[in-house]
Amino acid sequence: MTLFRTLATTLAVGLIPAAAAAQSMSPMRGEVNSFTDVFAVRVFPANPYDQKIKIEIHVYDQDFQPVDARILPAAFQLGAQASRPVLVVVPFGGAAERKVRICTESIPFPNQQTQIRAQICGKFFGHRKS
Amino acid sequence: MKLFRTAFGAALLVTCLGQPALATTQNVIFNGTITPTCTLVIATNGTMTISPDLQTLSSHNSGGSAGTVTLTTTGGVSLSVDPVTTTTVPSADTTSTTWTPTYSSAGAHSIVETGSATAISTPGADLVSVHLAGTKGGSNRFANGNYQATVTLRCE
Repeated sequence: MTLFRTLATTLAVGLIPAAAAAQSMSPMRGEVNSFTDVFAVRVFPANPYDQKIKIEIHVYDQDFQPVDARILPAAFQLGAQASRPVLVVVPFGGAAERKVRICTESIPFPNQQTQIRAQICGKFFGHRKS
Repeated sequence: MKLFRTAFGAALLVTCLGQPALATTQNVIFNGTITPTCTLVIATNGTMTISPDLQTLSSHNSGGSAGTVTLTTTGGVSLSVDPVTTTTVPSADTTSTTWTPTYSSAGAHSIVETGSATAISTPGADLVSVHLAGTKGGSNRFANGNYQATVTLRCE
């Protein structure tokens, strides 16, 4: 069963088109069909700065409530002008479909009086196929 | 024999003149799809200063400055700011503060200063100014010490 789930998840990941670098996060839209009780999305956060920054990935529902998703990795340092893949596995939670936001967040210049957190959110729609 | 060979060659050449060349062309199709995309690059953080009545700590006040962010997008996205939830205040400040983040944009898209979400449908680059104002009501005043707040600028 675990092997089947892994294979199905991999299939779902493959439905997401490959992304280009030099963007804060791509893709920002997607629909995924899954034959299991989870669906997976691979996103590509990118660091547009000329310095290393810390990036966190969060998953929210439509009301911006946190979703208990598996994020690999959820937080990491990303080098200047670099991009890397992040795998997000979202449970359907018993529903036939689920809309989530996957957000790339960073505070590139911390320890200032007024900090700005840049948040790039993509909207993803998972369909559970029986 | 020589005459026959010449005549035969000429006749063959004339016959071939009316035949089309066998070369052919084939179109090569290129497709490309761009999904909505945006990049936020923070240029500067903001600075808040206190008002003369000590009831407003704001980037709009004299000596204050907005944070600036470069936005580059394909369009089809929405820009917004979140309510401020992360603040650090000095221990002497025991009264509540109302924090109001706003933003404006200049460039490919002109957005008048607002705290609401703005849909951006066309591509282009902008310089987004992010402001933050903290206010105290009644007889409450800001206290001596260091304040820090985080504004979340979202593109989705």
